[in-house]
Amino acid sequence: MSIRGPRLEFAVGAFLLLALATLLVLALASTNGKFSMRGDTYPLKARFSSIGQLRASGPVKIGGVTVGSVADIQLDPVKYDSIVTLAIDDKFKDLPADTTAGVFTSGLLGEAYIGLQPGGDPEVLKPGDEIAFTQPAVDLLQLAGKYMFGAGAPKPADDTATTDPSTESTP
Amino acid sequence: MKALASFIRATGQAGLFTLAVLRASLPTRDFLAELTREIYKIGGRSLPIIAVGGAFVGLSVILLGYRALDTYGASNQVSAMLGLGLYRELAPVLTALLFIGRAGSSIAAELGLMRATDQITALGLMAIDPVAKVVAPRFWAAVICVPLLTAFFISFAILASWFEAVHVIGLDDGTFWQVMRDAVDFRHDFLSAFIKAGVFGAIAALVAAYVGFHSEPTIEGTSVATTRAVVNASLLVLMFNFVLSALMFR
Repeated sequence: MSIRGPRLEFAVGAFLLLALATLLVLALASTNGKFSMRGDTYPLKARFSSIGQLRASGPVKIGGVTVGSVADIQLDPVKYDSIVTLAIDDKFKDLPADTTAGVFTSGLLGEAYIGLQPGGDPEVLKPGDEIAFTQPAVDLLQLAGKYMFGAGAPKPADDTATTDPSTESTP
Repeated sequence: MKALASFIRATGQAGLFTLAVLRASLPTRDFLAELTREIYKIGGRSLPIIAVGGAFVGLSVILLGYRALDTYGASNQVSAMLGLGLYRELAPVLTALLFIGRAGSSIAAELGLMRATDQITALGLMAIDPVAKVVAPRFWAAVICVPLLTAFFISFAILASWFEAVHVIGLDDGTFWQVMRDAVDFRHDFLSAFIKAGVFGAIAALVAAYVGFHSEPTIEGTSVATTRAVVNASLLVLMFNFVLSALMFR
């Protein structure tokens, strides 16, 4: 190498600083900016008779804004419901106790997410509470099939599959 | 049976070499001076190839992604594919492969020639640990440089593909950036990319230094060492990439 001494140090310093600046710009401009290592969240549970295409780490949204993620999905071995654990951002504590949860799909083919609809109850949901009012995923293909082929004589089995099977209804 | 025994012995030798390199890495004044020189030689001088390589990879990912996503009318999602593809797989792997071609080969050739001209033996005779003097600075320079070069690779790839997508194909500028920001998670994608890059840098430098350091002390031995460094390091990087991806992204 032809250069050495102070000029070498200058070149290396410029390289390192440029690289760190690039890292910073990339982190700010091209990522979602969730820098905190351990995002402070609290858990909520919700039961669904069907979760459709929902997967763990899917988003939880209120009015289209992401407020948390799906932490875990388990099947209740007794009732055969899916128990979905939500990790909600600590910023959104004090969700009303009559908040409803539903499994929706963004767009026609997009990812599944959980949409929360806060109610007006002065009581709030505490960490670990279960959301009482839920709405299962709607299977578009099943629905379309029902309207196309099953409108005249709905079979009882199909009927229960597509009308809301959860005993609670949204207020 | 004999082949198996020699394979196990070679693995053990490589492991012991790695240990020796780590043990010899003391931040003395001499070490830091060597480290600075190596960062310049294998990091700074690799910038042009990384920049050009990154730009062209970004361009072709946009072409491919646009063609594939347009089928579903989702061509404005192409920057999500670009961002995730770059951070998760393409940028660390391709940077490491370019780095191996550019710097790994030169490390192996340098050490091979030092072996052939008995310089390594001479250092030992002067009671200077050749691993500490020659190998450790190159190892740490690679561990530092490959993640930084990956950052350059990604930024040039994103810049070039932004130009292609927005100014040539005609996608919306705001959508391009917002879709990428929504798709790339800081912790899962951004940090994993640079952890991967650091591991690949270590692999590249260790393999190159190992085969160079242990090459036959002849001219032919040096050329064999150079070839072997590039082949073995590239294969190891590709294999480790799969293992790390499987662990990180499931």
